[in-house]
Amino acid sequence: MTAEGILMSHVVFGVLGILGGIWVFAEVLHVNESNRKRIIYASIATAILIWISYLLGGYWYVEYYGPDKAIIKAGPWPWAHLFFMEVKEHIFFSLLLLGTFLPIAVYSNNLLADKNAKHLVLGVAGLIVFIGLGMEGFGAVIAMGVKMGLLAG
Amino acid sequence: MKMIRKSIAKYANGFTLSLIMVSLFNALLVIAKESNNALKEWMKVATGHHWTTHGVVVLIMFIALGLVLSNTNIVERLDVRKALVAVLMVTIISGFIITGFFWTHI
Repeated sequence: MTAEGILMSHVVFGVLGILGGIWVFAEVLHVNESNRKRIIYASIATAILIWISYLLGGYWYVEYYGPDKAIIKAGPWPWAHLFFMEVKEHIFFSLLLLGTFLPIAVYSNNLLADKNAKHLVLGVAGLIVFIGLGMEGFGAVIAMGVKMGLLAG
Repeated sequence: MKMIRKSIAKYANGFTLSLIMVSLFNALLVIAKESNNALKEWMKVATGHHWTTHGVVVLIMFIALGLVLSNTNIVERLDVRKALVAVLMVTIISGFIITGFFWTHI
């Protein structure tokens, strides 16, 4: 139950991190004097949510993934681990770096006056959403890989 | 508040460059450790799991490079528009490197 709780929390915080990225993107798209503070708070929240998802997912991966990995590799969908999990666990670092960078870029630039800085933050937030959605999809394939392995066994 | 913003602002360009470099490094480290058993084994021994070591190395590099580059004059010449293109390109390229590598190793 602990393992399942950690895994589901990883997914939930990941989804919230994606929503945070969308929130930052939408706010920055319409940046004005009244929402500048909200953009800072949203970017910090996004970074924290991605970090929590990383720590939970990382702990689950290191402590509990072994048996699932064996089931996947012995089942009809071994590529759910060999490709999807391997890619997911390494591309997540890009997401983590982008999430950490987001509040730095937001806080240290005047997004209202500097169009290039605004586009930089939009680009980073967009990448967070895009990669985050990819991670969710990859996670679904990995879960299906376990299910296929169990059904075949 | 303005003083805090000013002191943090000097780190923005440094961490932009760091993000670009470390994103690419992350992808190259994947190929290096998956192609070299000795390196992967060393990474496993270092923290108990190669992936944990990978994360620690990437994060330490991001922070260290960001701090070092923030205190050089390289960042003063940084064009934000070019930085945006570089961040997008490097993130996409490193994604392709990682997916391409594991695609060929299924």
